[in-house]
Amino acid sequence: TFLFENDFKAILPELFLVIAVILLLVYGVIYSTSSHNKYCLLLNNISMLSLLGLIFTFSLSKENFITHASIFYNTLVLDDFTYFLKQLVICSVFFCILISLNYMKKQSFNNFEYIILLLLSVLSMLFLISSADFISMYLAIELQSLCFYVLAASKRSSEFSTEAGLKYFLLGAFSSGILLFGISIIYGFTGITNFNELAKLFANSVNDVCEIHNYFFFKGDMNYAGSCLQACELGMIFILVGFLFKLTAVPFHMWAPDVYEGAPTSVTAFFSITPKISFLAILIKVFNNSLYDFMVPMQKILIFSSIASMILACFAAMSQNKIKRLLAFSSIGHVGYLLIGVCSGTTEGLQAVFIYLVIYIIMTINIFAIILSTLKRDENAVIVNIPQVKYISDLTMLAKTNPILALTFTLTMFSIAGIPPLAGFYSKAYLFFAAMSSTMYLVAIIGVLTSVISCFYYIRLIKIMFFEKTRYMLSFNTVKKENAIILGITFFFIVFFMLFPTPLYLVSHKFAVAISC
Amino acid sequence: LTTDISLLSIVLLLPLIGVFILLFIPSQNHLCIKKIALNSCVTTFFISLLLLIQFDNSASGFQFTEKLSFFKHTDYTYNENASYTVNFIIGLDGISLFFIILTCFLIPVCILVSWTNVYNYTKEYCICFLMLETLINTVFSVLDLMLFYIFFESVLIPMFIIIGMFGARERKIRAAYQFFLYTLFGSVLMLLAILLIYFQTGTTDIEILYLTLFTEKRQILLFIAFFASFAVKVPMVPVHIWLPEAHVEAPTAGSVILAGILLKLGTYGFLRFSIPLFPYACVYFSPFIYTISIIAIIYSSLTTLRQVDLKKIIAYSSVAHMNFVTIGLFSLNIQGIQGSILLMLSHGLVSPALFLCVGVLYDRHKTRLLRYYSGCAYTMPLFAIMFLFFSMANISLPGTSSFAGEFLVLLGCFQNNTFVAVMATTGTVLGAAYALWLCNRVIYGLPKPYYLRNFSDLSRKEFFMLLPFVFCILFIGFFPEPILDSIYTSTLNHSF
Repeated sequence: TFLFENDFKAILPELFLVIAVILLLVYGVIYSTSSHNKYCLLLNNISMLSLLGLIFTFSLSKENFITHASIFYNTLVLDDFTYFLKQLVICSVFFCILISLNYMKKQSFNNFEYIILLLLSVLSMLFLISSADFISMYLAIELQSLCFYVLAASKRSSEFSTEAGLKYFLLGAFSSGILLFGISIIYGFTGITNFNELAKLFANSVNDVCEIHNYFFFKGDMNYAGSCLQACELGMIFILVGFLFKLTAVPFHMWAPDVYEGAPTSVTAFFSITPKISFLAILIKVFNNSLYDFMVPMQKILIFSSIASMILACFAAMSQNKIKRLLAFSSIGHVGYLLIGVCSGTTEGLQAVFIYLVIYIIMTINIFAIILSTLKRDENAVIVNIPQVKYISDLTMLAKTNPILALTFTLTMFSIAGIPPLAGFYSKAYLFFAAMSSTMYLVAIIGVLTSVISCFYYIRLIKIMFFEKTRYMLSFNTVKKENAIILGITFFFIVFFMLFPTPLYLVSHKFAVAISC
Repeated sequence: LTTDISLLSIVLLLPLIGVFILLFIPSQNHLCIKKIALNSCVTTFFISLLLLIQFDNSASGFQFTEKLSFFKHTDYTYNENASYTVNFIIGLDGISLFFIILTCFLIPVCILVSWTNVYNYTKEYCICFLMLETLINTVFSVLDLMLFYIFFESVLIPMFIIIGMFGARERKIRAAYQFFLYTLFGSVLMLLAILLIYFQTGTTDIEILYLTLFTEKRQILLFIAFFASFAVKVPMVPVHIWLPEAHVEAPTAGSVILAGILLKLGTYGFLRFSIPLFPYACVYFSPFIYTISIIAIIYSSLTTLRQVDLKKIIAYSSVAHMNFVTIGLFSLNIQGIQGSILLMLSHGLVSPALFLCVGVLYDRHKTRLLRYYSGCAYTMPLFAIMFLFFSMANISLPGTSSFAGEFLVLLGCFQNNTFVAVMATTGTVLGAAYALWLCNRVIYGLPKPYYLRNFSDLSRKEFFMLLPFVFCILFIGFFPEPILDSIYTSTLNHSF
C-alpha cells in the first residue's frame, strides 16, 4: 500500500485513459447492439468522446504534479523526456482522429472499435515511452503492435486492407520475436532487464573488454567475461534490428509501403505519424541512455541504416504513382534523417531528433488532412464522389479548382523537401548541424544530397497541381471544418515557424538534456 | 538593439504590406490588383532612393543596421546576452546599397511589363513578385550567414512558380525543375559549410566572422562548398545549363529578374563571403577561377553565335558577362572589385532591358525564333533604336555603363595577371560579334511580311519602361563617380 501510494498518481493520465477506453467500449457495445436504439452507428459519438478523453488525458499529463519519478519497481520512469513525448503522442493522435472523422463517414467505415483500438494503442505508447525495463517495454510494444495489426486489417471489405493486415502481422510478429530474442540473450548473460542497472553494469565496458581480453589471454584462460560482453553485444544487435523493423528503417522496411497503401487512409495517417514517436523514444532511451557505452558499435549499424534509408527512399519514391506509397517511402526517408540525430549520440543530436519529429508530424498531419478530404469528379454532369486521393495524378489542376488548398499543399511540400524559410528546413538544418558537430561528415553530405534528390518527387506533386493539364478534372469537395481548421493551424506553423523558432528549440533542449545526463 | 525602425526595414517591409493588402482583394479584380502591386513597389523604389541619399560614403561599417533576436538554440540562463545565437541583423554598405536599389527599380518594371499580357492568376503573379522583392532585398542586406542562406534559397519558391506557371511553352516545367534542382544542389553544400562554421565559431554573424581566421585547410574546404553554391548562381561553366533553359521558358518579367538580380546573388556571395572570409583560399583558387571564367567567356560567346532563340542569345551573353565579373572579383584589387560591382550593376540594367525588348517582340509576334524576324527598323523604328542602343551597351561601347565596368575589371586583372586580361579581352570582341550579328538579323534587312503581320511600334508604356534604362546606362557610362565613391570605402574596408 505504501509502495503504490504515489505510483498511481504518477500514471494518472494512463489510468484515466484505461477507464475511458473501457467505458467507451461498454457504451459502444451496448448501444450499437440494442434494437431499442435501432442498432445505431456510434462511430461519430465515440470519436467525439474519445477526442474529449484525449483532451482530458493531455491536461492530466500536463498538470500532473509528479513529473520526475521512477515507479512500479523502476519499471516505469517519468522525466522531461517522457513528459514531452507523451504529450506529443496525445496531440498527434488527437489530430489524427480529427482529420479522419469525415473520411470515416464517407467511407462508411462504421466499426466504432476502430477508435477504441486507437485509444488502446495510445495507451500502450504512453507506457512504452515511459518504460524503463525490457519487460515493460516489450509488453507495451506488443500491446501497441496488436492494436496496429487489427487497425491495418480493419476494413474487411477491402482485399488490400486484409492483405496489409496479414503482412503487417507476420512481419511485426517476426520483428517482435527478434526483439524478444535479443532481450533474452541480454537477460541470460547478465540477469538484468532494468535499463538503469544495465547502464551501471556496462559503464565503460567497451574499453574494459580489451583489457579483460588481454588479461585472460595471457593467463591462458577462457576469456569468460569478454565473451559475455560479446554475447550481450549480439543481444543488443538483435534488439536494434527489432527496433529498426518497427521504425521501417531500410534493410527492414519492406512491409511499410504495402501496409501504408493497403490500410485505410485514416489508419495510414495514424501509422505514419504516431508510432514513429514511441519507437524513437524507446530507441533513444535504450541506445542513447542505458546502453550508451555500446554506442560505438551500434552507431555503425545506425549510420548504415540511416544512409540506406535516405538513399532508398529518395530513389524509390521517385517512381511511385500512388500517393500513399509515395508518402510511405517519404516517411522511410524521414526515418533515415531521424536516425542521423539518434546515431550522433550528442545532446544536439537528440534535440535535433525532437525538433525534426515535431515538425515532421505537423507536416504529415497537414498532408493527410488534405488527402483525407473527399474529391468529386464531374462525369457527364453527374457528380461522382471519390472518397480520397489515390493516384498522384488525381491532384491535377488543383491550382485551378481549389487554389488555396493547392497553395497549402505546395508550401507543405516545399517544407517537407527542406526548402528555407519553411519549417522543414529548420529541422533538417539542425539535424545536419548535429551530424557535423559529431564529425559525421559523410552522413551529413549524403543526407544533404538525398534531400536534394527527394526534392524531385516532392516538386513533382507541385508540378502536377500547378502545371499539368488533364483529360478529366477532379476537384475537392468543400473541406470539412475540422480539417480546414487543422490545415490552417499547421499551415501557419509551417510558414511562420521561422519567425519564432525559439520555444521549440528550448523545449527540445530540455528534453535532450533530460535523456543524455 | 535599435528602437526605431530604420529606413532599410521599411524598404524590406513595404512589399510585404502590399502582399497583405493583395490577399484581401478578390482575384477577379485584375486592374485593382495590378495597381496596388505597382503602387507598393514604386513606393518602395522611392524609399530605396532615400537610402542612397542618406548613405554616408565615408563610413566604413554597415549603415542602417537593425538587430532582431531571432533564434535561441541553447538555454544559457547565466548569460542573457549570449543566449541568442542567430540574430536577424540587417545593414547596408556601399556594396549592397546599389543592389537593393536595382532590385527596387526592376520589380515595378516586372509588374508593368505584364500589365496587359498576364490574364490568369494575376494575383498570384503580383504576390510572387512582391515576395521576391522582399526576399532578394533581405538577401542583400542580411548580415548573418545562416539567414543569408535561408533567404538565398527561399528565392527559389517564387521563382519556381513564376517560371512554371507563367512560362510560355511546355518545356517550362523542365526549365523550372532544372532551375530549382541545380540551384538547390549547389547550395546545400553551402549549408553544410555554414554549419561547420557555426560549429567552429559558435556564431554566424558575419561581422564577427570577418575577424575570425580559419585554418588554411579548412578555408579551402569551406571555399569549395561556398563555391559550389555561388558557381551555380553565377553561373560558371560546367553548371550553367540551367540558365538558358530558365531564361527561355520564363515569362519576360521572370527573365528580367533572373538576369537582373538572381545572377548577381552568386557574385555578391563571392564578394561578401568568400573573399573576406577565406582570403587564403581565394588566392589559392584564383587561377582556377580565372581559367573557368575565361573558358566560360569564350565558350558562351561562341555558343551565342549559333543560337536561334532570341532569349537564349541574351542568356548566353549574360553568362559571358557574369564570368567577366568573377574575373574582376578574383583579381583581388580595388580596381578589379570596383569594376566588377559596376559591371554587375550595369549588367543588371542592360540585360533586363534586352529581355524587355525581346518581350516586346514576343508580345507582338508570339515567337522568339530568330529567322522569323528581319527589318524591324522599317516597321518599328523606335524599337530598333532602343534595341540597337542596348545591344551596344551589351558589348560595352564606351559611354555606356558596361564600358566603365569592363574597363576597370580589365585594369584590375591586368595588374594581377596579364594573360588573363588578354584572354578576357577576346570576350569583348566575341561579344561584339554576336551582338552585331543579332542586330543585323533582327533590325536590318527587309521586313518579312509573310511571317509577321503585326507591325505596331513600341507603345507608350513600353517606351517609358525602357527610357529609365537608357538614362541609367548613359548616366553611369559618362559619370560613374557617384557609384564608385559609394562603393570605394566599403570595398576597401571589406576585402583587404
